Amino acid sequence: MDKGAAAGTIDRNADIPGSANQPLLQVRDLHTHFFTESGIVKAVNGVSFEIQRGERLAIVGESGSGKSAMAMSLIQLIAYPGKLVSGSVRLDGKELVGLSEAELNKLRGSAIGTVFQDPMTSLDPVMTIEEQMVLPIRKHLKLGSKEARKHALGLLNQVGIPDADKRISSYPFEMSGGMRQRVMIAMALSCKPKLILADEPTTALDVTIQAQIVELLKTLTETTGSAMMFITHDLGLVARFAQKVAVMYAGKIVEYGTVDEIFNSPRHPYTQSLLKTIPSVSGEKRVRLLQIQGFPPDMKLPIIGCSYKERCPAASERCNNDSPELMPRQGRQLAACWLKNGLMTEGYESITTQLSRGELNALTKQERVNTADAAGVITTERSALPVGANEGDATRINAFVADDANIVLQITDLHKHFKKTSMLPWKKDSEIRAVNGISFKLRRGETIGIVGESGCGKSTTARMLLKLDEPTGGRIELNGNIQIVFQDPYSSFNPKMKIAEIISEPLDVRKIGTKEEKQLIVRELIQKVGLDPSYLERYPSQLSGGQRQRIGVARALALNPTVVVADEPTSALDVSVRAQIINLLCDLKEELKLSFVFISHDLSTVRYISDKIAVMYLGEIVEYGAAEEIFVNPAHPYTKALLAAVPVPDPKIEASRSIELLKGELPSPAAPPAGCAFSSRCPQVTVLCTERKPALQEYLERREVACHAVS
Amino acid sequence: MTNSKGYADRNQYGKDSCLHEAVFFSQNEEEEGLNVKQEAVAGTIGQPIAPAQPRIQISYMRFLYVNKNAKWAMLILLPILLLAFLAPALPLQAPLESNIRASLNAPSLEHPFGTDKLGRDVLSRTLSGIKVSLFVGFSVALIALAFGIVLGTVSGFFGKTTDRMIMGVVDIFLAFPSLLLAIGLVAILGAGTVPVICAIALSDVPRFIRLQRSLVLSLKSRTYIDAARTVQAPQIWLMAKHIVPNTIAPLLVAASIASANAILIEASLSFLGLGILPPEPSLGNIIKDGQMYLQQAWWISTLPGAVILLIAISLHFLSDGIREELDPRARK
Repeated sequence: MDKGAAAGTIDRNADIPGSANQPLLQVRDLHTHFFTESGIVKAVNGVSFEIQRGERLAIVGESGSGKSAMAMSLIQLIAYPGKLVSGSVRLDGKELVGLSEAELNKLRGSAIGTVFQDPMTSLDPVMTIEEQMVLPIRKHLKLGSKEARKHALGLLNQVGIPDADKRISSYPFEMSGGMRQRVMIAMALSCKPKLILADEPTTALDVTIQAQIVELLKTLTETTGSAMMFITHDLGLVARFAQKVAVMYAGKIVEYGTVDEIFNSPRHPYTQSLLKTIPSVSGEKRVRLLQIQGFPPDMKLPIIGCSYKERCPAASERCNNDSPELMPRQGRQLAACWLKNGLMTEGYESITTQLSRGELNALTKQERVNTADAAGVITTERSALPVGANEGDATRINAFVADDANIVLQITDLHKHFKKTSMLPWKKDSEIRAVNGISFKLRRGETIGIVGESGCGKSTTARMLLKLDEPTGGRIELNGNIQIVFQDPYSSFNPKMKIAEIISEPLDVRKIGTKEEKQLIVRELIQKVGLDPSYLERYPSQLSGGQRQRIGVARALALNPTVVVADEPTSALDVSVRAQIINLLCDLKEELKLSFVFISHDLSTVRYISDKIAVMYLGEIVEYGAAEEIFVNPAHPYTKALLAAVPVPDPKIEASRSIELLKGELPSPAAPPAGCAFSSRCPQVTVLCTERKPALQEYLERREVACHAVS
Repeated sequence: MTNSKGYADRNQYGKDSCLHEAVFFSQNEEEEGLNVKQEAVAGTIGQPIAPAQPRIQISYMRFLYVNKNAKWAMLILLPILLLAFLAPALPLQAPLESNIRASLNAPSLEHPFGTDKLGRDVLSRTLSGIKVSLFVGFSVALIALAFGIVLGTVSGFFGKTTDRMIMGVVDIFLAFPSLLLAIGLVAILGAGTVPVICAIALSDVPRFIRLQRSLVLSLKSRTYIDAARTVQAPQIWLMAKHIVPNTIAPLLVAASIASANAILIEASLSFLGLGILPPEPSLGNIIKDGQMYLQQAWWISTLPGAVILLIAISLHFLSDGIREELDPRARK
């Protein structure tokens, strides 16, 4: 923005001791704007930083903070209508801005390699891996076709692709997501780049695969000496992987430092708050998560003063007028804030203590309680209405009373087998056992977390609970009503319906209440999830992801459910918004005594919200019991591996952990291994495991584990 | 971001390549999603609410003013329609009134499009023919839309045997060239406006069923359908509330092309003597009348032909306009 101030940054950086050697990448005052119909979006608004040789820099920020636009600006592959407006990008001292397309093309793929989020879209689906890999190698390294193939094979071996000489002639769709991402990494490495740009390289992958890929990238950068710029929103990954961290907000870097500095002594209020929005990994549980209030600024409007001032509890008069530039703190840390230590600055401790206790939310919480009281009145009124949903449940309720009056959901030996009949009469029908005999009970007000890799049957279980799929065996006994909050807040609403219609749809379908009553209920519901009733007249496309997810919760509450299934409710959301949704679910759980079935692969969230946990592997529950116990002391080798794979947002813990990676990938559920389903990947496998299937057995009073090694 | 999806969609609609405009629709929602990402983070109670973003929606006045294609379409189509409907009030000879003494007159002030062999005013006949042609075009589009929506939705939504039966019949009809099918049907039903409409619609209906079916298939797995299912919404509710409203837009694009097509086929049929029966004028049979005199009186065939061209072009502009309005990225 301000040229003079930016120039100041350059000088200061030059003074930092140790940077006498020329850095690998030097970015100075980079501006990238998107010229849209409705105005100029200043996505990158004056970014300056450096990457040293062999260094791993993580770029962190919410979506819309300009992370990806910045990365793409470095190699000048900005999507229309974006344009690099000004600034300088020096690689090895050579200026890249202003190079011709041909010169840039030489650099891309050779000096700079890229790995994108979704390997399926970055690989050409109609070309084999060989065709895609060999061409750039021949072009950039000037090798013959045979040597190029050999080089490609070497790379595929290096990134851990088994049977590389066979796999090289397969098509992308024949490979799993993890394998594809390995291929992408092999391609990025193929011309021995000095710098690798990775844009959320593991976001589309499972935790166990993510751990493998991160480990791979770590060893590869260490062995090849490539530097790496790593864009992510997962703070755990940052702690595990990065050496330096740059936090981006509204198109600018607001804080920069080493991993330890950023995690242990963050200086910018945004970083400080961001670190408090994630559930803590150890210590006290159920501390209300911090919510960052407000919105990021509209990047089309000029930003006067600090871009974070509207959301910052410590904002002062100065912040409104003067924009703080990155200023040095202790060590190499830089932060763009007028306060020396952000929210931890002397004189601001009251805010700090409030923040840590979550008292800044006291007001909103009080309001929530008020609405809840009001809602309580309505609820009783509503129960007087004829509710068609509860017909037929009476008999079930009677059946339950004998057992345990508080059990709202009980599933017994639930099976879902998908049969695939072949057209050829001599071929046997294959059967996929998506869910293979699971049982659990859920009491009123209790939350069960279901965790496992994708393909383990979590979502199929959810679909059966909601009667979207018919089970092929077993029983589901439900006391009351069950509803769902979906994962993707973008596709779970009809774009042609207004929010009011969406929330009242369950009521319309069940023909509950008159028009006026329905309006009243809908208003109560939207307030209950913390949105203003004025949103009722909008369409889903006018809401942000977090707001949509709130609407999803409101819709689920419309029929007064006793059980709510939450299928990955936060995985499509930004970090700061995640905390809001988790807090909302926790509040609702308390207020309405709801029971949740919480399905997620985000283990720290599951731990935060769940009372019980069921760990699923290939359609079976392998460990089941109290959440805290399982997290503190996992018994099943799979649970252990899963917990080890999840990166923890604390660099100290990450550094001290010896990460035992799971070998290989989830076997196909169509052909599960004989004996224990986990035997093909288990580090403690014995002959017994491959012969006999272990049953779920009692373990340490409150737990059940299915493993021969545990008893 | 939408790359992979776009790719898949294109594959899916590949078979209905003549109507591939539909491809754009399913990405539209995502596009909208991207647009609002800036807004982010919730407006919790007591928080200021972010300003509403303008919704991408066809606002008709804006559509006609701002959309270049739509503007061109209307600039051509409106005057033609106006003239056609005001024809009786214009100082022109009636379309059927003949004047042998003034046969084969070249265009003049009195007869701007000249006269034909029987001395009838070609402009007056053309204007009257336009009404017939547009009536045929829009009727065909309406019939195709109605059958397409109902049968396509049923076929795509229920799948299995229902789908196989409907698609079997549709595929049989699609195997015939549309003009041949129309000729065959007119041969059975006899010539005239209604048989012509039926004949042309018969070849368009299968296309619309296929289009609607493919749209329904891609919508069927949307999460919001699942959401409605979890409250045990009846099938008819899902179709009427969630599926059909989301398919209307691409169908409109297809309908405007279909109506242009119908006008051309009607002209072809009339030209072959199978369409609208003389002396009632239609653009096709006027051209046919002039065919024999092309050497002496070029105006009889050429000028109505030019009018057909203009109408067809403007309808295509209109469909482009609708498509652009639905897919913001198609706008330049």
